[in-house]
Amino acid sequence: MKHSTPSICLYFQVHQPYRLRDLRYSDIGQPDMQYFDEEKNRNIFQKVAEKCYLPTNALMQELVERYPHFSIAYSLSGVFLEQCEEYGPEVLESFQKLARTGKVEFLAETYYHSLSSLKSIEEFAQQVTAHVRRIHELFGQQPRIFRNTELIYSNELAHIARLMGFHGILAEGADHLLKNLNPNDPFVPPAFTLPLSVRNKIRKERPYPKAARSIDVLLKNYRLSDDVAFRFSDKKWIGYPLHADTFTDWLMQSGGRSVNLFMDYETFGEHQWADTGIFNFLRALPELWQERGIRAVTPSHAIREARGWKKQTYDAHAHVSWADTERDLSAWQENLIQKSALDELFKLEGAVRTANDPELMRRWRMLQTSDHFYYMCTKYWSDGDVHKYFSPYDSPYEAFRRFSHALCDLRQRIPQSQSQS
Amino acid sequence: MSIHSLMFGWEYPPLHLGGLGVACHGLVQGLLKNGVRVTLVLPHPHSAEEEHDVLAPTSAQMKSVQIPSIMGPYDTHRQYLHKITTISKEMQQVYGSDLPEAVAHFTAMSAEITKDVHADIVHCHDWMTYGAGIEAAKQHQKPLVAHIHATELDRTHFHPNQWIYEMERSGLAAAHRIIAVSNYTKGILTEHYGIPAEKIRVVHNGSSEEHLQPDHAITASVRHQRHPMVLFLGRMTIQKGPVQFLEMATKVHAVRPDVQFVMAGEGDMMNEVIDRACKMGLGNCMVFTGKVSSKEAKKLYQQAECFVMPSLSEPFGLVALEAIAHDTPVIVSRQSGVSEVMAHGFTVDFWDTDKMADCVLTILREKSLAMQLKIEAPRSLRNLRWEQQAGHVRSIYLDLITA
Repeated sequence: MKHSTPSICLYFQVHQPYRLRDLRYSDIGQPDMQYFDEEKNRNIFQKVAEKCYLPTNALMQELVERYPHFSIAYSLSGVFLEQCEEYGPEVLESFQKLARTGKVEFLAETYYHSLSSLKSIEEFAQQVTAHVRRIHELFGQQPRIFRNTELIYSNELAHIARLMGFHGILAEGADHLLKNLNPNDPFVPPAFTLPLSVRNKIRKERPYPKAARSIDVLLKNYRLSDDVAFRFSDKKWIGYPLHADTFTDWLMQSGGRSVNLFMDYETFGEHQWADTGIFNFLRALPELWQERGIRAVTPSHAIREARGWKKQTYDAHAHVSWADTERDLSAWQENLIQKSALDELFKLEGAVRTANDPELMRRWRMLQTSDHFYYMCTKYWSDGDVHKYFSPYDSPYEAFRRFSHALCDLRQRIPQSQSQS
Repeated sequence: MSIHSLMFGWEYPPLHLGGLGVACHGLVQGLLKNGVRVTLVLPHPHSAEEEHDVLAPTSAQMKSVQIPSIMGPYDTHRQYLHKITTISKEMQQVYGSDLPEAVAHFTAMSAEITKDVHADIVHCHDWMTYGAGIEAAKQHQKPLVAHIHATELDRTHFHPNQWIYEMERSGLAAAHRIIAVSNYTKGILTEHYGIPAEKIRVVHNGSSEEHLQPDHAITASVRHQRHPMVLFLGRMTIQKGPVQFLEMATKVHAVRPDVQFVMAGEGDMMNEVIDRACKMGLGNCMVFTGKVSSKEAKKLYQQAECFVMPSLSEPFGLVALEAIAHDTPVIVSRQSGVSEVMAHGFTVDFWDTDKMADCVLTILREKSLAMQLKIEAPRSLRNLRWEQQAGHVRSIYLDLITA
């Protein structure tokens, strides 16, 4: 096989959190207390469905059907799938229709789009297993590629995913780890053995009966991905306005084996509105690529192709993610309120498990969604940053106030004998 | 370019009752640091001791001209009688019952007293000085800047004394440029005074408080020896929302009877507020201190677990910055200017005392939240130094002078 031109690997993240209601002290301990703002969540979902999910899915359907060498991948969070069922079954149907083309791959992630990988292997493995099952039920696929919440990644996590049975994992191609290597090349994590206790926990909860022999890492080419996701409509950007042919030139010039373009699906129509020309841009790509002999492949396909190739080591001792310029955990775990919120939540794990009450377990898990912690970020709070743009609340402190009430309520729901254990 | 500003003030430390005096002082000091020469005209009477304080040693460039004895006993001019009786009790309390005469006097003498001052610009603070500013600007043929620290609508919860309101309007109309202390105030000026937005510049007040870097161990011990304390500090007048504070306190008390509330300050609503507090069953947990010195205020800030400023309409709200400088978490009314510059704290509509109480309860319950507010909030004061804010004022001067 000749590989003079790199292929393109497109993966889109599809997620909507459940946003918290304006909870009050007096709500704590009320028997039917609801944590989430039903109306707001419904409105946002329907707005995004209209602007992004439905039109983009329709366009993707057209493109994958028309162009034989154009495939794509999605990761749909479990909480997104639940919102589909609650607020927009037609959105779910349009994803199922895409699945039936056989050219769309669905990836595995934590069901609750959670930060559980940072706190509890057992919980993490259970959530991944739950997600894999749900994807199989809805789309008839067994996901073999894993992507963690917000592309949070480390060497350890790669091996955990391998032991769970995944052949591939996605990660941010962070400059400080790549040094001068090309993120478009295939990578593997450094080899090492996880402690027995960790391995045992994984063995108990993993989605697949057997560990994978090896795991490949596909690295996000963040420059080219962000050209579309963040800069597409930025008039001050030197690349503005971005045309499909220019962008394709850049993709080809970036070299390597596979240019991994990973981004939020909401880029299309929601972050970049239709009037920016984002849909025309997307529509133009596959035709151009076909003319120039460029294939867009799924992550599984990219990894299959790389079999037998020499792979470089991507060495992430500390966590990397795709968030903010820091590309670390600081978007969710930097300040005191973020840390205490997550710590306090996971302190309840033992008691919640012992209580063996599905309703309690669900409440606990619903609070794990990473967005709750993202909204509490104060990194650039005074400068009016991207966190402010994405937050449904007035301030990080309002996010914490609501969360802390929910957490207090949860704590009170745990039967006394257990909460003391 | 060296600029000379002829400034008309009303209050000035140590003779001040509200934020106006503090803000004027900060601004003058900031302008001096920006190389602006200031001649400050004040209506303060008498005492050489006070005069000395106004002419602070660091203010070598500042020439203070005081107009003597206008706040002295008031001889009965009939035409003023009507005006006085309709002036809000708060204004009388703050500025004396002979206010209209004092203002008229100040205005009449301003031209005379400043006739030898050769300034580049005339700058006046709030309506009491607008007349004087207009006269001086006319006499010297210089541009007029009207600074607005509080409107009559703020002070009276939108039930203005018509005479004062007209004084404000005519001063604002005559000015070449208006400086508002917040976007909130700018909004009031455009909406209720019919001032075109392009005539207004917003310069937020600076923080006079250096962050004190207090000994956390001492503060903590002061705080924890007692029942947790929630603080109100301000004049006991409708503008400051003392009734909203009581409503909030009732709601907190219902959940946390161990919490103590301190209301510091005095004002025309004092008796009413005490009466209400008793009727609301807050007798045992509510302390009224009356007017406090700055030393006492400092101690209260340090003792408080959180500071609540429930003002109905607050052009700025310097007390919130003072609380922050003492590492006290703050909850402020959304109807305030300070909420625009205070990133780390809670902002609540003044009428939503339920949410206000909820924020207090959350701060009391969540140690990590209280600690984070104590650490983060004082950092925002760094971006609010008077020297920097006065720099914006200097640019406004320059624009007008070179126009």
